[in-house]
Order: sequence, then C-alpha cells, then structure tokens
Amino acid sequence: MTITENNIKQPIGEYIQNWARKHSLFVLAYGTGCGAIEIPPTMTSRYDAERFGIRGAATPRQADVLLITGYLATKSLKRVIRVYEQMQDPKYVIAFGSCTINGGMYYDSYNTINALDRYIPVDVYINGCMPRPEAVISGFVELQKQIASGNAYNATKYKENLEWYRENQKKIIKNWRMPDYNW
Amino acid sequence: MDNLQIENNILETIKTAFKVEGKVVREKRVEITAHKQLISSILLFAKNQHNYIHLNHITCVDWIEDGEFEINYIIWSPTTKNTLIIKTRISRENAQMENIDNIWDQANTYEREMREMYGIEFPGLIGEHEFILEDWDEMPPMRRDFDTLEYATKTFYQRPGREDAKDVREELTKQSGEEIPEFAKKYSREK
Repeated sequence: MTITENNIKQPIGEYIQNWARKHSLFVLAYGTGCGAIEIPPTMTSRYDAERFGIRGAATPRQADVLLITGYLATKSLKRVIRVYEQMQDPKYVIAFGSCTINGGMYYDSYNTINALDRYIPVDVYINGCMPRPEAVISGFVELQKQIASGNAYNATKYKENLEWYRENQKKIIKNWRMPDYNW
Repeated sequence: MDNLQIENNILETIKTAFKVEGKVVREKRVEITAHKQLISSILLFAKNQHNYIHLNHITCVDWIEDGEFEINYIIWSPTTKNTLIIKTRISRENAQMENIDNIWDQANTYEREMREMYGIEFPGLIGEHEFILEDWDEMPPMRRDFDTLEYATKTFYQRPGREDAKDVREELTKQSGEEIPEFAKKYSREK
C-alpha cells in the first residue's frame, strides 16, 4: 500500500516512519564555533524551536541532528568526526554559517577547515554570518522536508563512501588514533 | 609633572640599579628596554623591591625586518596600580630565552605557547612539547614568514567562488573619491 503526498509516492510504513522522524529532531548540544550563540534564542521562548519538535539531546547516541555551528578548527574536527560516528541512524548534519561552506572570514587560516562536506556529509547548509534564529528554523524546516520526502540518506552515503571521507579526514588528522565503530 | 612622580621614581631606581633605557609612557605605565641577560634580575628586583607581584602577560612580536623577536614582560603592582613593561630583543635564528617560571609559575603557560607559536626555546621548561596545536609539523605558525594562505590552499579544500570578492576599503574609496593611504595599498586584493 502506498501513499502520495506532495507528488511523492511512498510505502505507507516508510511514510509513517518519516513523519515521526521529522517531528522529533533531537539536536546534540555541542557548540563547535561562535554560531552556538544563536542556539539559545532559537531554543528559548522568543523563537521556540520546540514547536517544530526540535529539542536538545545530551549525548551523541540519543541525538538525531549534529549542528556544526560556525568555524571548525582542525582540532575540533577530530572530535566532530568521533561524535558523528557515535550517533545512531538516522542521523543528519546541519552546517551553520559561511565558515562551514567556504571558510568564511577564516578562509586563509592555518587551523580551520574550509569545506565541511569533504569530511562529513552535510544535509542542509545555512548561510550567513551569523544566521539569525529565523534562518536556523528555516534550515530545520528544509531538513524536515527532506526527511518527509525520504531523501535524507546521507548517513548511508557516509558508510558507502567511507574510504573517500577517511582519505580527506586523514589529510587533516595526521596522527590517526581513532576507534572504529561498527554501525 | 607632579602626577607622574611614582612612575619617574620607579624608572630612576631601575635605571640606577641596572643601567637600562626606559621612559614613562603615560600615567601608570613605565617601559624599559633591557638586554636579555638582565631580564630575570630586573623582574626579581621589581617583584621584591617594588611589589610588582602580578605577571599580566608575556608577549612576543616578530620583527622579521630586523631578524629579531621582541619579548615583552608586562607586570603590575597592586600598591601603586602601575604597569611596568620590560622589553627585550632576541635573535630570530636559534631563538632562545631564559625560563622565568621560577619567578612566576604562570609564566610556564605563556612560554609553552611561545615555544609552539614562535619556536622560541626556553631551557628547562616543564610540559609536553605539544600545547595547543595537534600534530603540527610545519614552521611555527605565528612567525611572519609562515604563509597562512599558501598553507590553507595546500591543506584544505578551497571552494571556488571567492574570485570576485571585492576589497571593502577600495570599494568605499571608489564611491567617495577618497584616496587610499600608501601603506594600505600593499594589502590590496587587486594585483
């Protein structure tokens, strides 16, 4: 049995699954850059992201969404990769601010990476320096649309193309001493 | 000059004790230039005799044109509320400076940072060689001859789309008809 919504045809089981997933996005409370300052107003009463089902999660294993808020130093990239690999499926990445897109104002810095999608797969980019809470919420809504249409399969993409990602990651993290996670 | 009495007194005592150059910069700020071998004795003298018990900062400046590093010790006295800046120059080749963490323990942090960021060696410094940077095997990055853009281009993926980025200063001066100062022209993006 299939169901059609917004011209997308899905089996009804998948439809219900995606519907449930898109309304309970648990965000890992891990601020990596200066953009983390936009998260408190997004979460609190002024913009109240919880009306979209967006709320914080304490640990990577309980979270669905990893927010990369702003510039990512080479040192924190190592931690981000470990966090991302610990997260359970389904998992999504939202990259936040122009620093994650092309380096932003730190494009010539010796210790910040320039394009995040070379190291972990990114579902939604939010541009701006910094994006306002409205932009953050619109990014989440975009992610919800992707989930509802069944197109948010970047975690699978990461598993399938792990070698390519590892090659890029090892270019930055020269002394690779990381645990292997078997998903 | 009455209100600069404390500052002048301190400058005079240090000058007579050590025969160094110095000046009163402004109220509550005295600056002294000394040879690198005198530094620890001047710091001890200021700490014990004039109650400069607080080490504010140790900073390093790269004077690449002179082939020298300048190290500034900034100390502060809670009784007179005065800041004393002690400057010294060391050679850029095989840069080495005396370790002062027996005078102030917290100097260790600044010295480890300078060792990592400028490659200045402090004999007898306690602590791992790696401080802030992880797996760094290039030239110390705060040295001025380290080309960050070249390193970033080599190491990180540069996404295309920055080619038409314009210099804000130049765009503004074009609109208003104002002239760019000579020194600012070498930082221009239009080459």
